[in-house]
Amino acid sequence: MKIYRNSGSNMVKITIFFIAFIILISFLAVISDIVKLMIISALLAYVLDPLASFLESRGMSRTSATSAIFLFIFAIACISSVVFLPVLYEEIKALQVGFNSEKAGLMVSDFENFLVNNLAFLGVKDLNLLSRIQGAMARVGSWIFDHFLDAASVITGMVLIPFIVFFLMKDGRRFKQAFVSIMPNRYFEFTLYLFYKLNIQIGNYLRGQLLDAIIVGIFSIFALWLLGVKYFFIIGIFAGLANIIPYFGPITGATIAIIVSILQAGSFNMVLYIIVAFTLIRLIDDILVQPIVVAKSVHMHPLIVLLAVLIGGKLFGILGMLLSVPVVGFIKVVVHESIINYRRYGEA
Amino acid sequence: MNKLWENIFKFRQKETDEIDNILIQIPIFQDLNNRELRTIKRILHQREYKKNEVIFNQGDVGLGMYIIVKGTVEIVCGTAKHMLAELNDGDFFGELALLDDSPRSATAVSKTPCKMLCFFKPELLDLINRDPGLGSKILFKLAWTIGERLKSTNEQVSELSHLSHRTQLDS
Repeated sequence: MKIYRNSGSNMVKITIFFIAFIILISFLAVISDIVKLMIISALLAYVLDPLASFLESRGMSRTSATSAIFLFIFAIACISSVVFLPVLYEEIKALQVGFNSEKAGLMVSDFENFLVNNLAFLGVKDLNLLSRIQGAMARVGSWIFDHFLDAASVITGMVLIPFIVFFLMKDGRRFKQAFVSIMPNRYFEFTLYLFYKLNIQIGNYLRGQLLDAIIVGIFSIFALWLLGVKYFFIIGIFAGLANIIPYFGPITGATIAIIVSILQAGSFNMVLYIIVAFTLIRLIDDILVQPIVVAKSVHMHPLIVLLAVLIGGKLFGILGMLLSVPVVGFIKVVVHESIINYRRYGEA
Repeated sequence: MNKLWENIFKFRQKETDEIDNILIQIPIFQDLNNRELRTIKRILHQREYKKNEVIFNQGDVGLGMYIIVKGTVEIVCGTAKHMLAELNDGDFFGELALLDDSPRSATAVSKTPCKMLCFFKPELLDLINRDPGLGSKILFKLAWTIGERLKSTNEQVSELSHLSHRTQLDS
């Protein structure tokens, strides 16, 4: 029953595979906006799937369970839009305009003078710190405005994403079955095995990270509100979302809160409190939240995680940084299981 | 035109009846009602194999059981391809993979063109999550089936050791 392979035909197969792969990647690059929507929808559907299964276990059909989840999310979104959206909108708009506090301007100028006087031997001169900081903050505001709050993307996102998520949740099992049915007999069971392993490792990672982001976001909003930091709501949400990005996320959230507090108060008085607050949140996250919610995640070396985040950020921006770890985890599981299976196949 | 649709409908009906008849013969699905059987049918994978096609190799990762709807499958073991069993319509194999993660202990090859139904672990786990009642019914029958196979293996081992003891005494 030994299978002998023809190396010539294998080369043809590999070449065809690579050409098809390059065509596919090029096609995906052309329709990158749709791909982005699909990825976000697939991740949301994946995260919400256990909830639908739970409702099914209570006697609901898949369609009813999916509809119930959507009605609940819609209700939450309506309440949030009445309560929080005006605050969020005002905060982002203010961030887009920039900071005009005279006190902050004076403080930044003093700091700039101090740097120029003391570090002149390093060639430090004409830093224009204030205009740079104001420019950077305005860019952040504009970026958020352009990417999340402009009319076109809101309408596209609000209509298309729920639509895709609904059908992915309702018919996800059928899509998976249809995909597996086109696999050749030889790879059919192994494909299902890969799905199974990916679901265990990546699924737990994504759900854990999302829950972790929500908890850290709530803690950050609360801490910044207690400290009286302006734009506490938007910075808290950003800190929570940024927390999904390993290593860089938590530091970025704290740094933005510190910059805002300096520009708001015109002094460094709040910096220590913000550092203490974010350190405490980090400790609670590391000691209590992470071990419970992100316990069964993809086990990867910290260096690989760091490189993955850097490369993801370089190639695809913030979305790349957010998705880099699950994508590398996906590749790791596929390669690892394929090698193990190939070795077993060789031994048999 | 109506005739054509009638024929297509009948063909599908025939196929469904064939699957239903096979499923109710399988001990794991025997105690299920019509609604539960429909749920099971939705999660089964249907595959077709050519003559002499390898279904799985000894040492492959195993994920679940195969049910033969039509055809003959040979179960062979080791490099010498020692034949362990020949299975026909309505028989099933590989059910241990529903419970453990160890690699396949034998190779399964289709001796004739085969039509199979496949029931796999991820679907079973998903079923346990969303319909615990049906999931536990299947697990109970699965445990029963494996118990029966263990009893039968014990009897065969006992017979063999008895035979070997008698052969030793005779010589």
